[in-house]
Parts: sequence; C-alpha cells; structure tokens
Amino acid sequence: MSEFVSDCRKEWRRLCVPDAVANEMASDLAADLAEAEAEGVAPEEVLGNGIFDARAFAASWAAARGVVPSTPRTWREIRRRGWMTVAGASVSVLAALAGLALLSHRHAASVAPGMLRRFIAGPLFVPRPLVIGPGPGGVLLMNGRSDLLGLILLIVGLGGSCLTLWLWHPWTSARRRSATEDNAGIPSYL
Amino acid sequence: MLRGVLDLCLLAVVAEGPAYGYEMTKRLSARGLSIVGEGSIYPLLGRLERDGLFDTYRAGSNGGPPRKYYSLSRQGKRALAAGTAEWQTIRDSVDTVLGLAKAEVGA
Repeated sequence: MSEFVSDCRKEWRRLCVPDAVANEMASDLAADLAEAEAEGVAPEEVLGNGIFDARAFAASWAAARGVVPSTPRTWREIRRRGWMTVAGASVSVLAALAGLALLSHRHAASVAPGMLRRFIAGPLFVPRPLVIGPGPGGVLLMNGRSDLLGLILLIVGLGGSCLTLWLWHPWTSARRRSATEDNAGIPSYL
Repeated sequence: MLRGVLDLCLLAVVAEGPAYGYEMTKRLSARGLSIVGEGSIYPLLGRLERDGLFDTYRAGSNGGPPRKYYSLSRQGKRALAAGTAEWQTIRDSVDTVLGLAKAEVGA
C-alpha cells in the first residue's frame, strides 16, 4: 500500500499540488489504509475502483479539492491560446490602425474598388502617382507604395481581427465547460 | 449508484458525528452500503469540503496519527435536509411507477 501512496505523491508532484496539501492527503490516505489493513479490510473497500489506478485517483482527489485544474493539460493549452489570441488581437488592431492612418494621409481621391490597373514602382513611402480608373487621364487614386502598404495593412488587420474572434470561441466554450464541471456539490439524483 | 446519492449518504453519516475518511466507509458498510465497485469517497469528501458542506479539523484517532475529521457545516445541514426531502419524493414516485409495472406484470 505504501507503493500506492507513493504513486499518488508522484502524481501530486507532477500536478504541482502544494506540498502541505499533498502531505495531508498522503498522511490521511496512509493512515486509513493501514487501519483497514489491520482490520483485515481489503483496500478495494476503502478506495473502490481507485485502487487500480493510483494516478487517476490522485488526480481526481486533487481536482475535487480545487488544488489543481480539473483538466490541467487542457487548461494549459487554453491559457497559452489565450495569450496568443491577445497578442494576435493587438497586432491586428495596430496593423489596421496603421493602414487607416496611411490611407487617410495619402488619400487623394475616391476609390473605385477593383479598378487598380497600374502601379508605378518606387521606393517605399515615396509618393508616386498611381493612375486608376477609366476615362481620359484616369483618376488619381493612390500615391505609390505607401498607399498600397496602407491598404494591405488594413486588410491584414481586419483579417487578423476576424481570426482573433474565431480563435476566441474555443476559449469561451472551454470556460463554460469548466463552469459546468464545477457546478457540483448539492446532491442531484437525475 | 445514482450520481449524488453517495454525497447525500456521506452527509448523513457525518451528521451522526465527526468522522475521518475510513470511519465514514465503515459507517456506510455497517448500513449495508459498500463502495466496492464504486469510486472512492475521497474525491467526494474533497468536493463537499470545497463546496462548504463540511467543516474539517485535525485530531488524533485512538492513539494513531492525526486524522482529518469532517463535520457538517450549517450549509451541509441545509443540503442534507433538502437532499433527504428530494430523495424521498423521488423514491415515492419511482415506487409508484414500479408498483404499477409490478401490478401489470402480475396481471
């Protein structure tokens, strides 16, 4: 039985259960099992099916006491995903704002969507005339690469924002799932 | 065993007096409720404690090592009363349904 308690301790250590709590659980478990053994009671009658899987038993006990998340690996992933989502959202918003700033600064005429016909190459951020649109002489729409860069930044920013919203969904649904798991305690029979 | 019934039974045996984990198992067994084949009571005790239905303290046990004793909190007493009433209602309803089935099978 000491092997069982030892396996439980290993699992609690792996789950980063605080030492004080782990020591308390191990001490109570060892004392109960020793008492049962002295009375000739099989460990199955004390631990039920838990006797066959020390790790699962230890994890479920620790989770029930609220000293580890109910599903540690999943939560770790969710947390990492949360940070990535926040970072992605920040970059997306900054990109969209930068794109808007560039476009509003360089904008010279109304844009006719899908009418881009010619782009005159030039160094970045140096305005070059860009002729777009039908008619004699065309319509001056954009000033060189900085306008195109602004447009790209705006599209990337908006796309990134949409992606962020999409990524956010599993985060919220996972939190809902966890809340349901925690909603236990008062007896329910059905 | 139906989910929650063992919770209610644990509340009931602790209502008799504070007890540590194995002591509760013995009290349940003495009433014919063996947990062999069921999950252990330890996670349930942890959850009931976390939910505020149990108060706990450590004390020596018959010269043995200090044990964690569980006693009913005020919230636990309320949960036991509500759960007992709910259980009796369900039991009566199920008895009625099964009684009808028995009568039909016997007829």
